[in-house]
Amino acid sequence: MAKRKVLVADDEIHIIHVVAIKLRNNGYEVISAENGAEAFALACEEKPDIIVTDFQMPGMTGLELVRKLRQNETTKDIPVIMLTAKEELEISELLSKPFSPKELLRSIEDILYQRLVMRDK
Amino acid sequence: MKSVGNLYVIVTGIVAGSLLAEGLASWYYSGDEGGLRFAGYVFVSPVCYFVVAVGVIWLGWYWLRLTGRITSIARALKADKTSHIKSGKGKILNALIEAINNRFSDNSSYIAELENHIKDLQIQIRLSQGQKRNTEAIIYSIRDAVVVIDAFDKLSMANEAAGKLFNFDYKSSQHKLISELVCGEKTKAGEDGFVDFLRQSRRGKVRHTRREINFAKEDGTKTFDCIVSCVYGEAEQVCGVVAVLHDITREKEISQMKNDFVNHVSHELKTPLASISAYSEMLVDGEADDEQTRKEFYSVIQNQAKRLNRLIEDILNTSRIESGLIKVEKKPISLTILIEEQLQMIRSCAEEKKIEIIGQKPIVFNQVYADKDMISQVIINLLSNAVKYTPCGGSIKIETEVDEIASLARVSVTDTGVGIPEDEIEHVFDKFYRVSANKKQAKGTGLGLNLVKQIVEKVHNGRVFVTSEPGVGSTFGFELPLATAEVVKV
Repeated sequence: MAKRKVLVADDEIHIIHVVAIKLRNNGYEVISAENGAEAFALACEEKPDIIVTDFQMPGMTGLELVRKLRQNETTKDIPVIMLTAKEELEISELLSKPFSPKELLRSIEDILYQRLVMRDK
Repeated sequence: MKSVGNLYVIVTGIVAGSLLAEGLASWYYSGDEGGLRFAGYVFVSPVCYFVVAVGVIWLGWYWLRLTGRITSIARALKADKTSHIKSGKGKILNALIEAINNRFSDNSSYIAELENHIKDLQIQIRLSQGQKRNTEAIIYSIRDAVVVIDAFDKLSMANEAAGKLFNFDYKSSQHKLISELVCGEKTKAGEDGFVDFLRQSRRGKVRHTRREINFAKEDGTKTFDCIVSCVYGEAEQVCGVVAVLHDITREKEISQMKNDFVNHVSHELKTPLASISAYSEMLVDGEADDEQTRKEFYSVIQNQAKRLNRLIEDILNTSRIESGLIKVEKKPISLTILIEEQLQMIRSCAEEKKIEIIGQKPIVFNQVYADKDMISQVIINLLSNAVKYTPCGGSIKIETEVDEIASLARVSVTDTGVGIPEDEIEHVFDKFYRVSANKKQAKGTGLGLNLVKQIVEKVHNGRVFVTSEPGVGSTFGFELPLATAEVVKV
């Protein structure tokens, strides 16, 4: 089975780094972006299985990124996990900062598993 | 009355005298007639005349006495309403006098009662006039706008603040319809809303109601906390309405700024905390395989902890400077060395963005009289802002110059950054203020420049300045007094 691809978008390079290590250690392929616009372009190009994004990013916020992804045919079904304290309904999962890499991994696994089950049905 | 009495005595005397003379005359001439006639004349005529004369005199005397008594009663009545009239000998007259006296005593107590009542009323009037003056003085001295209307929506009273708010002459506008006074030619939502609120409260007979009303004024929207109370008459009917309008525009702004600040600060605090938390969890869980990775993780945690500390220091320093609690240690320091130290600290960040830093020119050897740590903070804040808002590949230039005449040193940091729109430039040093167009450019608490201003102006009696052109760049700088002999002595 091919490695699952995760796009991590955050303007904090340390956060990308730590998430990337956690996910790679657990068998995921990680691609990263430092702002919303870059993340959107990468999502269209790479079609990741799931996106982890920060809420507050320069240029395009996490929320704007999600809206843009939802409007785009190729990216509209990609689940998104947002790292934020603010609540928004459009997003698959919310994790408040400071977050636990373990919990993030568990959320990613849960969402991808549910997707798999639904697709099989 | 006396002359009438005298006249009556004379007339009675003449009548009685003439009757007596007539009787004596008829008796004198009676000798010429016969015996029986003689006897009749001799005995009957004079006696008859005498009796009549005496009768006339008695009647005259009685009438005089009667009129005398009546006159005295009239006089007594005229002189003093409450005096007691002395009784005489006549039974009828005494009964009359007694009746009058009884009525007198009844009336006098009633009059005394009325007089007391009038006195009470006068005192009450004086008291209520005093109270009215007090109320007016209170209402006129209140800084909140006060409007009082009657049951017909006409103005009963208003103060100067109300006059200013609704633009009418508060002293000469009594009895005018409130809708005419408050709503001008141009109908505005706020004013209409206020009049409707007054009417609704009056009709609804609600004792106290409260509502926030926005008024569109020339200098922006003003928010007022409007409290309306009904004034009740004796029959519990509403006979007026009192409205007090308190300007809460500034409070709202402060509250909004506080909320924004808390949001900003919590996000800013959470960012380094998120790194610390995630990296330490990874270390605990043994996710860092080799020594190199572990060292890297430790270093990230350490740096993020420092960042957190800096942020907390910023917040605390702002608060300390504002409250005057900070300890200031001023001494002559070299600006050149100070700037060089800060440039070293910012260089790595600038290199990440490929920003060129043009160091201080010319080198200045003069010293300034300042607190070293505080001025370091000012320089690092200006430099880090310049790096934050300058796009990759730009440049930052730091210059120092000395004005010997004015005895001050001027430091300026010029960047090739995004710049600040003209209408926002005057607010950049305000606490929590962030240039709206540049919010997405970089994160910040809106505290850095405010801290710069506080340190330079409040602590060092210096001056901050800024010039900017959107899309070209900005220059931020400050002036500090030179460490001359006089300044240091002070």
